[in-house]
Amino acid sequence: MSLDYLKEAVGSGDSEKLIRYVRLHFGDGDEAAGRAEIDKAWIEALKLLLDVPETKREFILETLAEKDAATLAHLFFHLHFYFVRRSGEWIHDGEL
Amino acid sequence: MENFNETNQLRPGLWATVNERYPGAMITKSDFVPLAKLRKPLSESRLTFVSTAGVQPKDSIPFDTVHPVGDYSFRRVPSDSKHSDLEIHQLKYPTAGAKRDLNVIFPIERLQEFAKEKVIGGLTTNFFSFIGYNMDAERLERTLAEDIADAVEAEKPDAALLAPA
Repeated sequence: MSLDYLKEAVGSGDSEKLIRYVRLHFGDGDEAAGRAEIDKAWIEALKLLLDVPETKREFILETLAEKDAATLAHLFFHLHFYFVRRSGEWIHDGEL
Repeated sequence: MENFNETNQLRPGLWATVNERYPGAMITKSDFVPLAKLRKPLSESRLTFVSTAGVQPKDSIPFDTVHPVGDYSFRRVPSDSKHSDLEIHQLKYPTAGAKRDLNVIFPIERLQEFAKEKVIGGLTTNFFSFIGYNMDAERLERTLAEDIADAVEAEKPDAALLAPA
């Protein structure tokens, strides 16, 4: 999908086109796999918090307050792959 | 620069096929891309190499394989590098074979051998590498392609080997 295709989707509020793009990216072109990958990342993140370990909340709050939205969006994509890799179930052919 | 004739430069219908499977994925490219004839024998020609394999020196910042729209940067890869000097950051093709023998995707040692054996006249100081996951085709053409073209030209090669991953 081209950038124009995605920008048109943003303009028309076509969320399905946008999330399909994300699923295709995360699933290496396989939309169903991408959907499962999104679930996998969230499950991995949830599992890490079930025992309510101490976390560096100041760091989180500072980061959210000080960094621009685009950087945080970029970080969001990094975090997806971080948790997918941490899950131990790596479906991708290549490396980060 | 002399151009080869235009026939069969790309497989007929290539762009239409890609766009059929991935709607809007590719810009329509019907322009003729001029190629240059070699002006001297290969054995006297300095060769450069441009690859989308995502190969890069170990001390360089990794290609951005997670960005949803792609990475529009390139890396210079010293042409005298050994496999052990390099690493791959590329999510979208199988890298297992290339990690065993980088030459299957980035034939740097074969090109070094060709230069040593005088099959080719020599190698530019650097080769050039980027990743192929770039979903903004116009940005790719406007920035990365131009940047690489300038960097290649600065090394004054007589010929360039282009290899998609």
